Amino acid sequence: MKRKIRIAVPSKGRLNQPSIQALQAAGINILRKERTYVSETSDPRFETVFARAFDVPIYIQYGAADLGLTGHDVILERKADVHELLDLGFGKCQLVVAVPENSAINSINDVPAVARVATEYPNLCRKYFENVGKQVEILVVRGTAELAPRLGLAQIIVDITETGETLRRNKLKVIATILDSSCRLACNRIAYRVFESEIKELLGKLRSGRMLTK
Amino acid sequence: MQTPRGTKDYLPPEVERRHYVEQKLREVFKLWGYQEIRSPAIELVEVLSTGVGSELIDSMFKFQDFDGKIVALRAEMTAPVARIVTTKMLEAPMPIRLFYISSVFRYSQSYLEREREFWQAGVELIGCNTPEADGEVLSLLASSLRKLGLEGVRIDVGHAGLLKDLLRATGLDKEKKRVLQDLLGYRDEDQLEKFMDENNFSTSLKEVFLTLSRCRRLEELSSASLKPSKYGRTENYLRALLEVKDALANYGVENLVFFDFSLVRKIEYYTGIVFEASVPNLGLPLGGGGRYDNLIEKFGKLKIPATGFAVEIEKCLRALTAQGVQPLEKRKIKILVASRFKDAAIKTVEAIRGAGVTALLDVTRGSRKEVIEDAKRSGINYVVFVNSSLEKPAAIYDTQLDVVRNMTIKAFLQSVEDDQR
Repeated sequence: MKRKIRIAVPSKGRLNQPSIQALQAAGINILRKERTYVSETSDPRFETVFARAFDVPIYIQYGAADLGLTGHDVILERKADVHELLDLGFGKCQLVVAVPENSAINSINDVPAVARVATEYPNLCRKYFENVGKQVEILVVRGTAELAPRLGLAQIIVDITETGETLRRNKLKVIATILDSSCRLACNRIAYRVFESEIKELLGKLRSGRMLTK
Repeated sequence: MQTPRGTKDYLPPEVERRHYVEQKLREVFKLWGYQEIRSPAIELVEVLSTGVGSELIDSMFKFQDFDGKIVALRAEMTAPVARIVTTKMLEAPMPIRLFYISSVFRYSQSYLEREREFWQAGVELIGCNTPEADGEVLSLLASSLRKLGLEGVRIDVGHAGLLKDLLRATGLDKEKKRVLQDLLGYRDEDQLEKFMDENNFSTSLKEVFLTLSRCRRLEELSSASLKPSKYGRTENYLRALLEVKDALANYGVENLVFFDFSLVRKIEYYTGIVFEASVPNLGLPLGGGGRYDNLIEKFGKLKIPATGFAVEIEKCLRALTAQGVQPLEKRKIKILVASRFKDAAIKTVEAIRGAGVTALLDVTRGSRKEVIEDAKRSGINYVVFVNSSLEKPAAIYDTQLDVVRNMTIKAFLQSVEDDQR
């Protein structure tokens, strides 16, 4: 059963360009014919498919893609049962707990008995607050958690930050870091067994490509 | 009106596809001497929970029976089979070979992997702990999947006891054991070595982990040290794996069987080899199984070793579809008989059925034109307008060719039988 190995690549956002470049540096040029569903690449053994970074782990877990590039944070949030084979080194960010600058909350200990948290990461958020023994109500939002405190939707947010710029602009301060993340190469468990040699070859190239760009 | 989440209806074409898979599997299982068993969909929760581990218990649909006892829908079939063997089959000569094709039920968050109600076909070989028994079960799994028409089937084999004992030997806490298990899955020697150095593994333990994680085939295990080891029963387990390899040799399936040190199953009762079957076109295992030598004794007092596997019908169908195989039974001819002469019509359908061909009797009292229209839409091949007696030529309408032929029922049946052949 010969078939191509399919790599899921983030279709937009901060991981899109660096992902395409990382693959390029590893010798896989996406021959992107506009917005086709599956794109051929310069390496006949691989093809790519564009997907939302948030969906990449699910694509991989259920075998819609064999490999994929996406954030460590997203893999954990989606509770995806996949192999995280390589830290690609870019897309570094942190998942943090933040509150308005003028809030009396300065650490996790200050979080009141009943608090509302806005986040795009309900699973990681719930797990974190459970671990620190805080009861919170989680409000799931898409993409704009930093607006929630200003709109009075929540006193606290849990969100991704790279430089802290967006948080500062929205007059928010970080009170705790939940996790450090970066872009990973993730792999379907069965695909890794079946295509071990091809995937290991790609891993090697991605590693050396990573060193060159540094 | 909808069905509950995670369940669905199976309409006739889908049922036919499922029949294809179920019948093929049933045929193979029977040819290998396995006997079919059925058990209730509902069982006492303590029966279903025995030995399976908390993850599966958490996924069971549980509710209260009228007498207050907690019951659950079966989430897998091995525990029910163990109960049956212990309570009803102790007199049966061992080994006992049983199979089932049953629906099982699990809560799940995602329906991408499977519905909450899904179907498993599986076998259990009970009362034997020889490598030949494991070899038989592995070979039966491979032959069953090949019989379905699947290509590129592979079976990855690990060993529950081996991994458990070696993980215990590391003395790591639960969290670090998980990290180590992930690293083994990644098959990344550098990372694995780094981790072992950071956690002060002894040289010999490091060597064992590295060697085992390098092995891709059972025969490569002979390179691992078989010296009496201080790591639990490692040595026995390695020998058992090599013996399974030998037992597989004559079935002609060795080339499909791989070794994966990191392989674990989600169900806890496994003690010996564990395995998963897959094809390259489907990113989820078709099924799997393994040896469970301590499960049955939990139901009674007797220690009875056993081994078995289950595959998911749905996944087999998905794999077949992914490989472009249309899993359909041989197309069968369907004939509709219509006539105002009821006596002749009924005699005709019976004659056709007697010849082993599907015959339907028109019960609509519709006009000739209406009957033909309906027949076309229902996938009927011929409509027979029978005369007052079977001997007189009947008008036989061919729905595909849109032509009418006049011939006797006998001559028509002859031509249909020739067609079927």
